[in-house]
Amino acid sequence: MFKLDRKIVTIAGVALVGVTLALSTTNAKTAKADGAENLYKSKPGAIDGGVTYPRENGTYTAYRYNEQSTKGVHFGRKPTANEIKAWDIDALPDGSGLPEGEGSVELGDELYEAQCAVCHGDFGAGGQGYPQLTGGNKEKDENGVVITLKNQRVYGSTDAPKRTIGTYWPVATTLFTYIRDAMPYAHPKSLTNDEVYAITAYLLAQDGMVEDDDEFVLNKEKLAKVVLPNRNGFYPNIDGPNAIEDVRAFFADRAKNIGAGIRCMKDCKDPGGKDGKTPATVMKIKYEMSDVNPPYAYARDLPPVKEDGLSHPGKADYDKACAVCHKTDAMGAPAVGDKATWEATLKKGIDKVYENSINGTGGMPPRGGSTLPDDKIKVIVDYMVEASK
Amino acid sequence: MNKTLNEEESNSVSRREFFKRTASVSAVAATGILAPSTVLADDENIMHHTEWGTTLGDEVNKNPYGVPSLYEHNNVRRTSPLMSSAGDMHAAISMTPLHEQKGIITPNGLHFTRTHNGVAHVDPNKFRLMIHGLVEKPIVLTLEQLKRYPSESRILFLECPSNSAAEWKGPQFGTLQMAKGMMACAEWTGVRLKTILDELGLKPEAKWMLAEGSDGSEMSRTLPVEKVLDDVMIVYGQNGEALRPEQGYPVRLMAPGWEANLCVKWLKRLEFGDKPWYAKEETSKYTALTASGRAIQHFYANEVNSVITSPCPEVDWKDLEKGDLVEIQGLAWTGHGTIKGVDISFDGGKNWVEAQLKGLVLPKAWTRFSYMYKYEGKPLLLQSRSYDDSNNVQPTVNQEKAVVGVEGVYHRNAIMTWAVSDMGEVSNVQVRS
Repeated sequence: MFKLDRKIVTIAGVALVGVTLALSTTNAKTAKADGAENLYKSKPGAIDGGVTYPRENGTYTAYRYNEQSTKGVHFGRKPTANEIKAWDIDALPDGSGLPEGEGSVELGDELYEAQCAVCHGDFGAGGQGYPQLTGGNKEKDENGVVITLKNQRVYGSTDAPKRTIGTYWPVATTLFTYIRDAMPYAHPKSLTNDEVYAITAYLLAQDGMVEDDDEFVLNKEKLAKVVLPNRNGFYPNIDGPNAIEDVRAFFADRAKNIGAGIRCMKDCKDPGGKDGKTPATVMKIKYEMSDVNPPYAYARDLPPVKEDGLSHPGKADYDKACAVCHKTDAMGAPAVGDKATWEATLKKGIDKVYENSINGTGGMPPRGGSTLPDDKIKVIVDYMVEASK
Repeated sequence: MNKTLNEEESNSVSRREFFKRTASVSAVAATGILAPSTVLADDENIMHHTEWGTTLGDEVNKNPYGVPSLYEHNNVRRTSPLMSSAGDMHAAISMTPLHEQKGIITPNGLHFTRTHNGVAHVDPNKFRLMIHGLVEKPIVLTLEQLKRYPSESRILFLECPSNSAAEWKGPQFGTLQMAKGMMACAEWTGVRLKTILDELGLKPEAKWMLAEGSDGSEMSRTLPVEKVLDDVMIVYGQNGEALRPEQGYPVRLMAPGWEANLCVKWLKRLEFGDKPWYAKEETSKYTALTASGRAIQHFYANEVNSVITSPCPEVDWKDLEKGDLVEIQGLAWTGHGTIKGVDISFDGGKNWVEAQLKGLVLPKAWTRFSYMYKYEGKPLLLQSRSYDDSNNVQPTVNQEKAVVGVEGVYHRNAIMTWAVSDMGEVSNVQVRS
């Protein structure tokens, strides 16, 4: 309570002399300098640009581990050829792994309208809140970059860059495997391979990536040959024999490729803006996104009581005040649930049972020792009777 | 029972109400001549017996699986239709209440959750994990067989790479939970994948691993084998119990420090190959479009990051008085290694002081930082900036924006700013140009 007392004095003081809270400059002192030493022995050059830690002498960073050999630990069994065939159905960008089958743009149109348009809009054009699949401007600049993907919604208004199959997706095989494995959204894996080829054909045809002709039929050979416009729109390189080293080199230069901070401590400048010189200002929330569920709430109170109708109104008080004696007959009290005993008790009439429970009977103190009012005691008795039928 | 307690509640006086009441009594007294600071109303909570002190409590095992106090019912995950398609909550995300986070372990019921086709409920008896492709001895495991392998436990954070994705173009959410809550930290238990692979015999041409989930979205991702052999685990334990369904029960992949999407849930299959797979969630999504018009793919590690959790919009400083000594604290994390330190600025990044780390300092785990501050009742632009043992320093909004633009969605780690008003109110702002 000392803390509260002190505050009250402060407030009273403020009220008396009319002092306003002065705004002085920051006066925070520098805390104990952090040692330059790294906490754990590490090695730079990890593929993600970070460090790796050695496992040696039973120690890995702060953790100990069992150094005994695990060689020879083998559980599980070899999968059968059929089992591997059943699960290994992924496909690579070169088309390997794609199944036999075929489907036409015409069939795809029909299936799309029936199963996909409800979320992805007519012709894949979006508009229902789910991802837009088709459309978007695919035009490229002299470096082969899709121009609209450079749109940045900052420094004035512009359209958002559209990430559709035609403008953004790198490879077409992804479309087939994703539709087959994960679509339609509420009934994944319900389409046949032929149907998946048909829907894939339809979507690719919308943006001219395959012939926009109802008669066009897509199969694995043709799908493997589809080159999407943004095939080269991604980095670092992850293909070919140098992929791993290319990835490592990319993440090694994080200041250039991702953006990194500088540990400036005093009079730091943070230039920015289009010209690299505009000083930073404070940007506040313009339109707060406050539509959250459950709604924001911070009180440490009891949740609203759910009236589910399942729990007898006397049960909660019974649990707290009476169960200690009445749960079993160990203390000589009629045990709740003991049908025969309660039938015998009720022969006296319910009013007598109420009276005994309020005034006490035998070893039982009035109200079972509680301070509950008469009406609550009666509800408890009702519950005990009910639960013993 | 609830009704009784509710009545009790209405009679009780919250700390703030009590403060107001007694303050007004004192203010009245203060305008008089004597101004006795000792005129205090007696606290009802002290002067009377309590409901819980005068009745029998619950039976010892009333809740065979324990639940939080009823009074903590507002400490919950929250979601927003803005982070879903058309308000559908099967491919959506719910956020951890970071303002209530104690220490570095997130309770399992509060772990943030991202799903692409709803939370799958896998029958553990029907669970199978297949490991095949470029291995000498492909294998299929039941859950019990997987658990026979020697286990390891690690305290690791998991962060959705979309964490604070709504903030690229400016501050959007008014709370810590919604602005930064797509992350959690837990102790995960499972098998180091290398332990199994040593036995299966990985072929030298294996460079990539496909991890595939068994849920309706068949969520799959490609990881480089180099990482797999370093520290990737297959986990089935979360803070001492089985994984929660929301976290991939019974088994998920755990790639320490890397974006949570790579830690594939409801795991079903691991295939080793010599080429990457180009799954949907590593092409059309989870690639970061930059201002160049090209996008960063295979964006693995969550960058060095930090956030002040006290104060924050939900835990403000409105009850502080000038001169109060108060702890500023927060969380720092990096997917690249271990947090080395955190700096704090009170003036929006012009000047910085060093905070101190506290508690366990573990690689790829949440790390607590702390700074004792003398509250002066003046406006502040409060920031934290972390750095790690991999030479990363958390960037300013401008520093990050200059390199990747504002349309990347993923991997945002710019310094956050809490504006503290002279009344101690805390709001989410950005220092940027």
